[in-house]
Amino acid sequence: MTRSPHPAGADAAGALETLGRSSGPASLILSSLADGPKHGYALTKDIESFAGVRLAPGTLYEALSRLEAQGMIEALESRDRRRPYQLTATGAAALSTYLQAQRKVADVGLDRLAVNWTLA
Amino acid sequence: MTAASDRARVGRLLAWYPPGWRARYGEEFAELLLDELGERPWTWRRTADVAACGLRARLAGAGLAGHPIDPAAAARAALATIACSAAAFGLTGAAMWSQLAIGLQWSVPRASGLTQALDLMTAAMAILVTAAVLAAVPLAWSAVATAVRGQGRPLLRPALLTGASALFLIVGGRHFQNGWPGTGGHLLAHQGLVPGGVAAFFWATTMWVTSYWAHPAMLAAFPAARLAWMALSPAAAMALVTGAATLMRRAEISPRALRYERLVANLAGAGMAVFAAGALCWLLSAGPGTRTLFRAGAIDRAGLAVLALAGLASLAAARHARPRPTPSGSATPAGPASAPKAVA
Repeated sequence: MTRSPHPAGADAAGALETLGRSSGPASLILSSLADGPKHGYALTKDIESFAGVRLAPGTLYEALSRLEAQGMIEALESRDRRRPYQLTATGAAALSTYLQAQRKVADVGLDRLAVNWTLA
Repeated sequence: MTAASDRARVGRLLAWYPPGWRARYGEEFAELLLDELGERPWTWRRTADVAACGLRARLAGAGLAGHPIDPAAAARAALATIACSAAAFGLTGAAMWSQLAIGLQWSVPRASGLTQALDLMTAAMAILVTAAVLAAVPLAWSAVATAVRGQGRPLLRPALLTGASALFLIVGGRHFQNGWPGTGGHLLAHQGLVPGGVAAFFWATTMWVTSYWAHPAMLAAFPAARLAWMALSPAAAMALVTGAATLMRRAEISPRALRYERLVANLAGAGMAVFAAGALCWLLSAGPGTRTLFRAGAIDRAGLAVLALAGLASLAAARHARPRPTPSGSATPAGPASAPKAVA
């Protein structure tokens, strides 16, 4: 029997966690690409608009190369020397599971704040 | 700011990255940097970020950090880095060990700890030499098989470099091993495990690891042939290691052979640990009153620092010597509005 080291599903989210210091930028990049293919500068601007975070170029490409090596994104044909990237099925699965886990944490935190704290 | 000066700045920033990375991402990364420069001409954070990420990419290419572009190539690079670290460790260790082994043939140490230290270091040297031979066999086999298939051109220069430098070190080591004061005698040969000839050969091969370099007047009294040997033998050792590491990176090694090489790397790691224990034992035993032959001097303390650095580099590379698996997942992009969104 052949065993895949990272079967689909639960392990796909784990794969995002294995990116270590890049897991933050990775989730932002995957979220941006969920909207459609983008090149480096378009990713930077999109992430800045929805997350208020500007990824530095080195950090962005470090995360892009790791995501590509993990099979979560793939490079498309280069246009005007700018290469767009698009989300893969693996990346979509990993992002979905990762964000659901994040949402669960956010829901618990917000519920507890609502019960115990009055915020202006 | 002109487009030409922007291009020049981008070129300087790209230089932080290794050639393999630049070949894959260089063009698109340069465009991103040009866009960034257009929006924010000067920011030290961008320069620091590019420098740090570029250095990490270089470390990944050498198998010393995770997430390289090509995991299989990085696994081979990690093994090559382990080989280089083990070679640096072995050369420094051999200089230290052969000096003690020769000393033991001429003099009886007062502290029994010194004899035990040398026994540990001798066992470790035997492990390291065995590991080197075991690692070389499949590598040589792969190189020969590649050459037989007619694809051996990239391996030719490193193979020639490895062979020529190994021959130079063996012939030179044999020539000089008994031509140096203290390396030819066997007065107390029963005192040690090591045959005098073996100790003398390693001593001659690592003759350049010496504090004589700090005393030019004493060095000037040496015969010209020995001075030439002391200058050329480190270059030959470096050429040997570089050639072997290049072969390891370029040869098409099967996954099975890679697993075997990882096992040999573990064996070399064990040898390094045993040697470090022996060297530590020697340092603790060689207190005040120790005979000159067994005293640990500045060159030996520097040698211990090299051993520690080589051991740490080897440990770091060992963590990355295994190719990382790539995940697989199942999801499909959302189709037309009527199609269900399927994200598993």
